[in-house]
Amino acid sequence: MPDSAGARRPYLQPLSRSWWLKHSFFLRYMLREATVLPLLFFCGCLLAGLYSLSQGESQYQSWLAFMAQPWVIALNALVLLASLYHAKTFFELFPRVMPLLPAPLMIAGQWLGTLLVALFLLWLFGAIG
Amino acid sequence: MEKTIIIQRYNPEQDQAPSAKRYQVPFDHSTSVLDALLYIQQQLDPTLAFRWSCRMAICGSCGVMVNKIPKLGCKTFLRDYPAELTISALDHFPIEKDLISDMAVFLDHLQAVKPYLINDSQNTEPHRQTPAQLKKYQKFSSCINCGLCYAACPQFGLNPEFLGPAAIVTAQRYNLDSRDQGKAQRMPQLNGKNGVWACTFVGFCADVCPKQLDPAAAVNQGKVASATDMLISIFKP
Amino acid sequence: MQIITTDIIVVGGGGAGLRAAIAAAETRPDARISLLSKVYPMRSHTVAAEGGAAAVTLAEDSLDAHFQDTVAGSDWLADQLVVEHFVKAAYQELVQLEHWGCPWSRKADGSIQVRRFGGMKTERTWFAADKTGFHILHTLFQTSMKYPAIRRLDEFFVLDLLVSEQQVLGVLALQLNSGELFQILAPKVILATGGAGRLFHYNTNGGIVTGDGMALAYRHGVALRDMEFVQYHPTGLPGSGILITEAARGEGGILLNKDGYRYLQDYGLGPETPLGQPQNKYMELGPRDKLSQAFWQQQQAGLTADYQGHAVVYLDLRHLGVQKLAERLPFICELSRSYVNIDPVQQPIPIRPAVHYTMGGILTELQGETSISGLYAVGECASVGLHGANRLGSNSLTELLVFGKAAGEHAAQSLPPMPRSQSTAATEQAQTQQRRLASLFGGKQQQSIASLRKAMTLAMEQGCGIYRDEQGMQQCRTTLVSLQQQLAGLKVSDHSKVFNAELIQYLELSFGLEVALTLCESALARKESRGAHQRLDPGLTQRNDQDFLQHTLAYRAADGRVALRYQPVRITCLPPAARVYGAAAKQGA
Repeated sequence: MPDSAGARRPYLQPLSRSWWLKHSFFLRYMLREATVLPLLFFCGCLLAGLYSLSQGESQYQSWLAFMAQPWVIALNALVLLASLYHAKTFFELFPRVMPLLPAPLMIAGQWLGTLLVALFLLWLFGAIG
Repeated sequence: MEKTIIIQRYNPEQDQAPSAKRYQVPFDHSTSVLDALLYIQQQLDPTLAFRWSCRMAICGSCGVMVNKIPKLGCKTFLRDYPAELTISALDHFPIEKDLISDMAVFLDHLQAVKPYLINDSQNTEPHRQTPAQLKKYQKFSSCINCGLCYAACPQFGLNPEFLGPAAIVTAQRYNLDSRDQGKAQRMPQLNGKNGVWACTFVGFCADVCPKQLDPAAAVNQGKVASATDMLISIFKP
Repeated sequence: MQIITTDIIVVGGGGAGLRAAIAAAETRPDARISLLSKVYPMRSHTVAAEGGAAAVTLAEDSLDAHFQDTVAGSDWLADQLVVEHFVKAAYQELVQLEHWGCPWSRKADGSIQVRRFGGMKTERTWFAADKTGFHILHTLFQTSMKYPAIRRLDEFFVLDLLVSEQQVLGVLALQLNSGELFQILAPKVILATGGAGRLFHYNTNGGIVTGDGMALAYRHGVALRDMEFVQYHPTGLPGSGILITEAARGEGGILLNKDGYRYLQDYGLGPETPLGQPQNKYMELGPRDKLSQAFWQQQQAGLTADYQGHAVVYLDLRHLGVQKLAERLPFICELSRSYVNIDPVQQPIPIRPAVHYTMGGILTELQGETSISGLYAVGECASVGLHGANRLGSNSLTELLVFGKAAGEHAAQSLPPMPRSQSTAATEQAQTQQRRLASLFGGKQQQSIASLRKAMTLAMEQGCGIYRDEQGMQQCRTTLVSLQQQLAGLKVSDHSKVFNAELIQYLELSFGLEVALTLCESALARKESRGAHQRLDPGLTQRNDQDFLQHTLAYRAADGRVALRYQPVRITCLPPAARVYGAAAKQGA
């Protein structure tokens, strides 16, 4: 493109920091990305639990007591919700990236898989059957 | 029946930044946003600048933001909006004037992905391509280059160097074509920092695409291809 | 004013212009090819072509058959030497496009699928679903990016050709985003600016199809040939004129009047073909001129229906079924749902004829050469002689390719060794135009350019529509002359430089009025009915080969008026005969 002088003065609106508040679609996207934060807390709990195990019984007992506090339970409930939300978005996106089967079938398959794994783990740790 | 159209006007010869102007436009069941713009230009203000041509959603000229969502003016109807609607130039592109944005960056990105069939065959007869092979890339060949997906992509807004949805769709279109042998030449662009990995799958591009060809899927299918390509290159001597 | 020197200028980035640019770049990779377009190339109106591109493909088909269909379709006004060349070159050009990646629709075995089209004896139309023009344009545009020799100048509006002593020197162009003038110098200029459908009120064309290139050449003394022949497409959507492809009928769609009767059988196109079994050259697969004329007759007889104030008939696709519609006519379904709120699966689509194509254009030789040395024209803006008095659907997309390539190659092969970098003649001419441009601006106006344009399109629709008579055309001419005078007195009130829409519309209208006048004058002087030119005047309702087996040539006289001359039609092997379709054709054969 030849240089053009004079009158041309393109205006570029820089993207503001709050761009994701502009539209509910972006808000949902940021929510999806933000699900990592509660998950971080959960991972921290888990690591602390492991560490306390290595420190002996009393340490482990106090970790259990910490985990039983209402606010910790509430936070972990939030973790569960966030993970489920993330799973939902992920399961819906996946068939678009790997279109192997019709999308509804793949979405249902992924939920079924999640359910089976969950049941297996619950069984393994004796919570059921 | 009338509706109020608020247009973000910008005249580079007078204004520092765009500012809103209101117009009253009559409408009926079939009045499109493009019809409204033409009415304003013909009846109220001949200085209003916007692009249009085919008025049947195939030339890709008339992309604008309608209530902050990228739309083709000719395929968006006043009947679907409340009494007031706001129209502005496509987000993330420099505005030349009023509703006209500079699309040069998009065309550069398109050119960068080598958007043509690469194949050395000297055959004088057509290739064979079964309907199933055609179907693999057919959807992605329907991109009308309207730029709505770029206006919907915050990653492109943050980094204009990002190849962006439509260019990557077109790269995928050729990569998936059974007649093409140019994938190896396109992968460096797609693997690069402004290629597929700059996409975080916001996915809004798929919502706004007037041809429903799911650019987000194309980009993320590109990630699979890119990852495979990089893995292979690691293990190749 | 900036000056650019280059080797070949292509004006227009549609199918013909892109094909010409690519051919030139392949012939002379070292040449500098400047591709100017007033819009980004992929916006060009080639994009809206739906149905397909014709070339003899099936074993049972023959070049002779394609030749005969085209010549008969043209009502014997086609240049038969040109048609011979065209049908021979057609197949290889479509294959070339296939090699560039065009997603042609396929048969189960992977070979090319062909479909039926109006006026064609057998299936020979290649297609890419119902978006053939779109795919051709994007394939060519994207392929053009492969050639470093091609340098795009997007959104440049050509104001004038620079010509001295019957030799083209370049063009004078306005860069739309800056308002800057550019003198672009080259020994070769190829015009590929498209048709002039926007001269009419109801048309299938995009807003950019304003006849600019025709006027550019005409103002420099090049003849516009056969301008009176304007194709009405029988199936446009009411109001907008949006095109519903002929392929809809090729796939089996039928036309019904308000009583649900297939009226075409009353106009020499019968007998009625059974539902779901379309037959070439019968009923709905008759040529476009005959079908549009049948609509007019139905309207006169009060047998058309009303759709929001527009007279319409119906295109019924319901019997094709959901699956075939989705596979073969997806775009038609989308258009119908969006623009008339009708689902073709459930209801027939209201349609009416709308101006679609200008058969006439800049007079050229076989390779696109015009009477000005170094100036070429290709595509809809040109009249190479392929379409005569009526174009067959799917011949024009192939035309873009065959003749675009020919012109690009010819221009590249005949480049002079040393192009001129400066030219006083060009500079003088450019400065004159610059002064003229400056004089166009003024204060706020009583009248708007838009209102003059509307008056023009209505006058053309009234006077030079599907059927014409002496009185109507004379009235049209009077209106056009008056509009020219009004426009000359009008000023552009917007003084801005960047994307001055009012200025561009002024220039387009001044081009358009000039072209409209040649059309009207050519039509007035053709005292017969042939192809798309149908007269109601007593004694003129039939073809008259005695006096009018001739091309009309419209020249611009010194006083600005249209001067007409005539040119004999080149007939190589198919002498004029009655032009019949349906059962009558069978009897004649």
